[in-house]
Amino acid sequence: MSNLEIGIWSFPVLLLLIFLRIPIGLSMLAVGVLGSYMINGSFLMIFGQLKNQTYGTFSSYSLSIVPLFLLMGQFARLGGMSTALFKAAETWLGHRRGGVAMAAVGACAGFGSICGSSLATAATMGQVALPELKRYGFSGPLATGTLAAGGTLGILIPPSVVLVIYAILTEQNIAKLFVAAVVPGILAALGYMLAISIYVRIRPNSAGTRERVPYGERFRALLAVWPVLAVFLLVVGGIYMGIFTPTEAAAVGAAGTGLIALVNGGLTWSTLKSSILDTANSTGMIFLIILGAAIYNGFLALSQLPQEAALYVTEQGLSPWLVLSIILILYLVFGCVMDSLSMILLTVPIFFPIVIGLDFGLSPEEFALWFGILVLIVVEVGLITPPVGMNLFVINSMAPDVPLAQTYRGVFPFVATDLLRVVILALFPFITLGLVRWLY
Amino acid sequence: MAERIDRWIQALARLTALAGGLVLTALIVVTVISVSGRALVFAGLAPVPGDFELVEAGTAFAVFAFLPWCHLRRGHAVVEILTMHFSDNLNRLIEIVANFLMFLFAALICWRHWLGTIDKYSYGETTFILQFPIWWAYAAGLFGAVVFVIVSAWCFLRSIHEYRTGSGVAIGGELP
Repeated sequence: MSNLEIGIWSFPVLLLLIFLRIPIGLSMLAVGVLGSYMINGSFLMIFGQLKNQTYGTFSSYSLSIVPLFLLMGQFARLGGMSTALFKAAETWLGHRRGGVAMAAVGACAGFGSICGSSLATAATMGQVALPELKRYGFSGPLATGTLAAGGTLGILIPPSVVLVIYAILTEQNIAKLFVAAVVPGILAALGYMLAISIYVRIRPNSAGTRERVPYGERFRALLAVWPVLAVFLLVVGGIYMGIFTPTEAAAVGAAGTGLIALVNGGLTWSTLKSSILDTANSTGMIFLIILGAAIYNGFLALSQLPQEAALYVTEQGLSPWLVLSIILILYLVFGCVMDSLSMILLTVPIFFPIVIGLDFGLSPEEFALWFGILVLIVVEVGLITPPVGMNLFVINSMAPDVPLAQTYRGVFPFVATDLLRVVILALFPFITLGLVRWLY
Repeated sequence: MAERIDRWIQALARLTALAGGLVLTALIVVTVISVSGRALVFAGLAPVPGDFELVEAGTAFAVFAFLPWCHLRRGHAVVEILTMHFSDNLNRLIEIVANFLMFLFAALICWRHWLGTIDKYSYGETTFILQFPIWWAYAAGLFGAVVFVIVSAWCFLRSIHEYRTGSGVAIGGELP
């Protein structure tokens, strides 16, 4: 077998292992090690590489942002900010039709600005908002659908762990990616609110309203969320202004949310321990995948597959838009069964060389930012599409009276706005890049 | 007997992860001090020299220390779309294979990392700014790597036990 053939054959083998429920990181690690054995005819090279690669991956300065952001998210959960955010959003939006659900989306967006993970956002806001939605007579599917979709704002709105990984893989500036994600993130929140507003007009009995709140109280509630704003400005603003490296910003953010939690009494010895253990679990999971992907991608590069694939696609003279559409659809399909980070780590090293050679009338850097945001959105849709949407599971487990099938139905309008948003952002790159151009 | 070992392994993985968390927390403190120092240079303060070297070494220790806990809690990312249609017995069989593979690669990683540590030791390589020997950081990582091998060996045995007795949850993340 030629090296290229080994590279090509590694795909079905890898997918077989993954679909047989072998942990994704482990599958990549195993296929990468065996593949490089087949290409070199011995384990000499890959074993030599492993002497330093594990340490090299785990000690990477830019990757150290991952556990820090995860811990920051854990502390944010303890700080009581979710309640304050929801209250503030509720006083402003609650009296509209479907307003309490819109408030939940708004609060998710606020929480997403200090938390880089979707699951943590969904779980935290679910705890606060689900009982309230029930109290105001919202139907089960609308409530669970809203929160599952709202949870994805955790990762669409910076800071975002997935964007950090994308930035590292494609050697892009993390600060610029965060800036590029801001407008699409806000559009996502507005789109979800629009979906709710249409939903309750089609089914008027699926939602109640609460009484109007006087402006004085509204501003008081808004004032209570200042710590969230402070942390967000410190982290994202600090990275943007070049005051911090992204890793420093993550550490400062973790300290900030930790401080809020401490002041509010949420951070005790025992919650600190459980935060650390939760962070340990997610970090272990993520870094095993990162290590596996590093080994597997090293093997792929050895097999020349990514270069050959890029060359092949360019030679076909296919329309760039066709290639982009196919890739985004592939992400949507795979997103139904695979988690977002594994998908990014597995596919970006292959797809990125292909698409960066296509001409969309953008500079390579702008293209990388725009493509990153599009990919971020389509992989996040995977979190709320059946059958394996993690956010759906998390929220559904918190609302035992709503059958999973109803949650699947309830999330549909939100998925529709996601797809619409992808099309709009793909057709008008300016929406994503405008803020970057203006600020830089 | 098995239960007692299980308790010990749980405690070992837990303490290792907490040690990693402690280091991570310390890194946060160091970074915040360093950033504040840099912001207050005019007041005569200064950033912590070589702070990023500490962050790198500390993160490596923490990640190595987190792996055993993640594995013991079945926290890895998996795709269940096919296997959820398989019988429980088949799933438990797959679990044995997966756990064996993990043990194999945990051992491989630990072995190679050990050799890497020896390399760094014999070359006497030091970091650029703080000038501490890099093998210290490697050796610190070795701690988590060894615990990972122990824990993954136990998980392999656990999966065999679960296959024999038909107990445990082969499907779906968390421990009962």
